Amino acid sequence: MKINPEQNCPFNSDYAPFGDVVLSSRARLARNLEGFPFVNRSTTSDCMEVASLVSRICTQDDSPLSLEWIDMDELDEITSQMFVERHLISSHLAESTHPRAIAVGPELSRSVMVNEEDHIRIQSIRPGLQLQEVREDVQKLDLSIEEVIAYAFDEQFGFITACPTNLGTGARFSVMLHLPGLRIVKDLQRVHQASEGMSLAIRGYRGEGSGTIADLFQVSNQLTLGETEEHLCNILSDEFLPPVIEWERKARMRIAKEQPSKLDDQTFRAIGVLHNARILTPEEAMNCLGNIRLGICLDRITDIDIRTINRLMIDIHPGHLRWKYGKELSTDEINSRRSDLIREKLGA
Amino acid sequence: MTTCDLCDRPAIYHDVRIVNNVHNTTHLCAEHALEAGVNLGPIDLSVVFSTIEETLEHTSAKACPDCGMTIAQYKKCSLLGCPTCYETFKEVLLPIINKVQNNNTQHVGRVPSQMSVDLNRHLQIRKLLKKLESAVSQEQYEQAATLRDQLRELHESDDHHEN
Repeated sequence: MKINPEQNCPFNSDYAPFGDVVLSSRARLARNLEGFPFVNRSTTSDCMEVASLVSRICTQDDSPLSLEWIDMDELDEITSQMFVERHLISSHLAESTHPRAIAVGPELSRSVMVNEEDHIRIQSIRPGLQLQEVREDVQKLDLSIEEVIAYAFDEQFGFITACPTNLGTGARFSVMLHLPGLRIVKDLQRVHQASEGMSLAIRGYRGEGSGTIADLFQVSNQLTLGETEEHLCNILSDEFLPPVIEWERKARMRIAKEQPSKLDDQTFRAIGVLHNARILTPEEAMNCLGNIRLGICLDRITDIDIRTINRLMIDIHPGHLRWKYGKELSTDEINSRRSDLIREKLGA
Repeated sequence: MTTCDLCDRPAIYHDVRIVNNVHNTTHLCAEHALEAGVNLGPIDLSVVFSTIEETLEHTSAKACPDCGMTIAQYKKCSLLGCPTCYETFKEVLLPIINKVQNNNTQHVGRVPSQMSVDLNRHLQIRKLLKKLESAVSQEQYEQAATLRDQLRELHESDDHHEN
């Protein structure tokens, strides 16, 4: 398959409900095959057998899944890195050496990882708040796979997984949120308060220690057992998100009203940096893009499409830059190419 | 109550790190914890393990009959070896599942539909081959012959199925 990340990206779509606050929605299901040890106790031949059983579904001529089967050992390192940056595969799958594979939709939004921590990890990602849609995406894939494969299942513990934190539904729903407003008005704790009693996990983008980048936060369900898939999804989409989206929008309006010059300074300073810099680290670029994004949402800038910013937030990662410029780039060269790409896309 | 290192609000995130014998403690409120990008959700399994240390010691010698996994190995990598481990180590795992799944121990979500015919046959063959291997190694030739017959039958029905 010829992978084309330029043309195939879920973030090219016009449809991104609540896209001012919710960048993306993701669902994943963890499954294991009956009769096999989990991947961490599997021999090479077990892994090959599992991969061969799963591949049958994707390689059949009349397969309803429309997924392309890719052996991870045959995938070049740059495309593999790019898939990690798109959340199509995990870095664990990319870096392991045992037989493993990915089945991926041509639109690069649905994927099935084979022989990751669990035998099968089914995923879907869409722009904006589309949790119900991604839940349906993964359920469809799940049902088709289940026609050919018997899952390890227990009446009490549900779908059996290598780690008890995924037992039951094996379902993890998550959203990536952009919360600059609540950070500026120093009200981020409300997000934490809102999640209390809902068993949700909140983490900063790029996670621990390094601080949050570009005010991006990922929120996901912590429990997987004892609730239905639908309920787990609804807690996030119907209970947690509506007040958080409202608070974020109100905070932004307050900033626009009470601190317009500070907001403009932050927005246009970010544009200035991106228009003129010749070397950009991912952190600096992401933070500037985040500031511009806020400016667009508050109509301080009208000549930049928010989709351009959303795409850049993905396209400036090393794998994507290496894919685009087609060669082994050093970190310095990547930082320089990043600034070139941003200037090109912003029409500087 | 411990307050946040950066403001006067109560701390909800506590971290202790020992680097070169120097203790570094960090206490953060929700606001500053989120800003610092620390993880405010997922349960740290090592903390869960430490709370059930006694049960872990008690069963540490036991190995899973299917995959050979021991609790000591599980504790090291936080992953079980096979579906049978859940049965083998149920006593140890139930309190862990209770903790990480907020006292939920009964699945209520989707249930898989009927096991497919194809894979069922595949699994039967796998099981018989394993039994055959062990019968031969223990020189139980009569049992081995019966197992061979069963395997032949399965293969024949497979051929028939394909034709």
